[in-house]
Amino acid sequence: MIRPFIISVLTVLSISGFCQETKLSESIISIAEELASDDTDPGAVETYTERLNELAENPVRINSSSEDEFSRLFFLSDFQVKALADYAHSSGRVVSVFELATIPGFDKETVEMIIPFITLDYKPVSDSDSVLWKNSIISNLSIRSGDTDTTLLGSNWKSLTKYKFSAGAFSGGFTMEKDAGEKFVTGNPPLPDFFSAHLLFNGSGLIRKIIIGDYSARFGQGTNINTGIRRGLSLSSPGYMSSSDEIKPYTSTDENNFFRGMAAEFSLKNFELSMFLSRKTRDATIDYLTGDSIGYISSFYQAGLHNTASLLQKKGVVTESGYGINLSYNQSNLKIGFTWSENSFSLPVNLPGSDPSKVFDFKGVRHNLYSVYYNGFIKNILLYGEVSLSDNNKDAVIQGISIRPSDRLSINFLFRNYNSGYTTFHGNGPGSSSKTTNERGILGNFSFEAAKHLFISGGFDIHDFPWLKYRCSGPTRGIARELRARYLPTEKITLEVLFNYRLSMVNNSDSAAIPDQKELLNRNVKGSIRYSISDNLIIGIRADFKLADPSESRGTLLLQDVIYKFRKLPVSVWFRYCLFKTNDWDSRIYTYENDLLYSFSIPALFGEGSRSYLMVKWEFCKFAELRLKYGITSQITTGNTVINTDEFKMQFRIRF
Amino acid sequence: MSSLLKISVSLLFIFSSLTASGGDPYRISAGAGEAGAGYVCVMKSGFWSTFHNQALLTGTNSFTAGINYENRFGISELGTRTAGLIFPAGKAALAVIYSHFGYTDFRRDMTGLACGLKLSKKLSAGIQVDYFSERTSGEYDMHQSITCEAGLLISPNENTSIGIHVFNPVPNSLRKTFLPSSIRSGVGTYLNKSLFAGIEAEMFTGSKMILRAGFEYEAAKKLWLRGGFSTEYDSFSFGVGFLAKIVQIDLGFVTHDNLGVTSSVSLIFKIH
Repeated sequence: MIRPFIISVLTVLSISGFCQETKLSESIISIAEELASDDTDPGAVETYTERLNELAENPVRINSSSEDEFSRLFFLSDFQVKALADYAHSSGRVVSVFELATIPGFDKETVEMIIPFITLDYKPVSDSDSVLWKNSIISNLSIRSGDTDTTLLGSNWKSLTKYKFSAGAFSGGFTMEKDAGEKFVTGNPPLPDFFSAHLLFNGSGLIRKIIIGDYSARFGQGTNINTGIRRGLSLSSPGYMSSSDEIKPYTSTDENNFFRGMAAEFSLKNFELSMFLSRKTRDATIDYLTGDSIGYISSFYQAGLHNTASLLQKKGVVTESGYGINLSYNQSNLKIGFTWSENSFSLPVNLPGSDPSKVFDFKGVRHNLYSVYYNGFIKNILLYGEVSLSDNNKDAVIQGISIRPSDRLSINFLFRNYNSGYTTFHGNGPGSSSKTTNERGILGNFSFEAAKHLFISGGFDIHDFPWLKYRCSGPTRGIARELRARYLPTEKITLEVLFNYRLSMVNNSDSAAIPDQKELLNRNVKGSIRYSISDNLIIGIRADFKLADPSESRGTLLLQDVIYKFRKLPVSVWFRYCLFKTNDWDSRIYTYENDLLYSFSIPALFGEGSRSYLMVKWEFCKFAELRLKYGITSQITTGNTVINTDEFKMQFRIRF
Repeated sequence: MSSLLKISVSLLFIFSSLTASGGDPYRISAGAGEAGAGYVCVMKSGFWSTFHNQALLTGTNSFTAGINYENRFGISELGTRTAGLIFPAGKAALAVIYSHFGYTDFRRDMTGLACGLKLSKKLSAGIQVDYFSERTSGEYDMHQSITCEAGLLISPNENTSIGIHVFNPVPNSLRKTFLPSSIRSGVGTYLNKSLFAGIEAEMFTGSKMILRAGFEYEAAKKLWLRGGFSTEYDSFSFGVGFLAKIVQIDLGFVTHDNLGVTSSVSLIFKIH
């Protein structure tokens, strides 16, 4: 009797193990592609995919019963996090992922979304575990053909190394990265182009957390401090407004948006106190007034790429000091918090009169921000809001409401108003862009289980920018709408149709003198089928249509995915073949690809051609695995001439 | 003058074959039954379907031979003649196909050797090696190419099937002359015992995506009516099929707004 049970449990575990890496939800993929298409915030997609990688590598322990642990699933709503915690407390151990679909606020769609990022492992902490050292090393190397630019300072390969260890309450690690074209080591002392390290103590009493080294932070809705991803990423995905205060070790590769120093988190009864202190250099463009030898910061350089002499000159030229306090009070259904932060720079930021678009921007050396925020449940209604004030008397206001009239329907609305001139150097509030300033808008969405296996979700976001911004020499507006239908007849089949509408405005380049604005309209329809034929074989089919106006550009794409895990070999294979045709860059189509851990690939496909890749994962022993990926993009130019761009990536991972 | 004429005729042929096969002259459009249903056949078993997706070969369980003639827009010089043989062998099946397009001054021949294999109850796979030769009379070169195509047939349940197919998934950097690629995916289901309906999408290198929808209705015993629609030139198609002992006769017609009707006829011999 026990033997069949063990066999079936092992079978389920092996299936879920394979699925964890291969069956990424279309909602997750759509968000990644949406972020990749946002030219104004190139770092967002990297941060997003890194969060996913962190979760995949260190999945959330559903049986831990900890709300903090569940809130790591950042794409869940506060409703869902609370419901999950309540369920874990009341019912004890979760034995099947499908059990989660019965939790109020959860459905098959949500469960499918979180499956790659959770584990059902239940392992009580024992004394022997508390001193057990665990180490993990990941090393990535990628080479892209065609990078023959002779002005680059270093070789054209890109490398990333991550090391992590944990021993009881202590953990730590470091991250090293060299982008393509960068020198491997720079500066004095010579260090890799980006090097980050941390040491963490996790406590359970008064001292909850102490971090020395690099860390990220987020408080409230993020208009004051949020060095991670912003909320409101997707209009039609459920749970886009999850919020929780956190200070966590920094393991990403964004080279500027993090803190370096020390942070601590304390907890006493219903109060939580976080304090942080940071001092680090930051990339910037320095300009000089005539006769002035000190200079001022005309802009911060965010890309982190230092592969030419001019870009290297921007590296670490400003010293930034930051410190702050967050105090929050938690009662069962109410949370109130206050955050204060201060930033100061070694050079003044934005001298007066330098640029019309910066008339309202912060100018000076020292900058303070004060925020109060709250969230509270009243039965099936969640209210939340935040007000932040900068010391130049500019404010940012957020007010939102989430309603769950029934387990099959959820509705969200969010209003935000960020004054022109409101400045935050490490904040990232919900909105249509990464800059939490010069924007006001309202966002609404719903998620509805229309029938037994049919899920419909949709949303809108109407916003305007009262003052000038990048590529806009006047006030502009934007509209986004999205409608998604998903049909999940069984656990093995997913059918999805997504309609996406985006209206934005940019300068009309045809205009003389001060340009007027023209509207850019993108409409996109995407259909996909994903089917797990057996426990080791998955196929995917996807078709995209895109219309871009006023250029009347059209784009189409058709792709096929096959993912296969050998039964008798510890090898998995991913293969994609894709054909695309777009009139030009305006109707480009972004496609998410499976990739190495802590690496991502979402190429913008345009023109006429094909894109294919093959990735192989070989777990050659219990502690180590090797991944290889080869991708090739062929674009046809006039006269049927084919231009090929290929890249090769390799990853070695070891855990001991 | 003669050269100019040959070039014009060759270009016309290339253009016309493009219009009939979704932008890729190297993808033959065989089968009157398939033509009648709008070429929605990447997931539906049938003699000629096997040449659109080799995984479907496993659906043929008797030694079968077939011939097909397609008369494009009523112009005999644009005719395509196709013949094929299928040899079932347990869970596998082998097939040979030959196709000839054109006339004396421009001809394109294709020979294919295919194999299909039933991997499980729900999954079949197939592969085909193709040899193309293209000859233009006079001083023009003869082009030859070898490539491959492969397909999968997935059957989530008894009534529904999903077909995916890839033609020429080989980077063109590996060959001297450019050869377009294509991918094709479709889903079909038996809505009831006698009505099959399906949709599919196909895309060729450098062409926009084509969507097709089609049906086959068994109006009486051994009599089939077919219809379909393709977004390529918004063409409608219709056809009829009849089984008489061991011979199946199919007729198919595909409309084109400007160029008229393309008609096809095929005979399939089921030899036990």
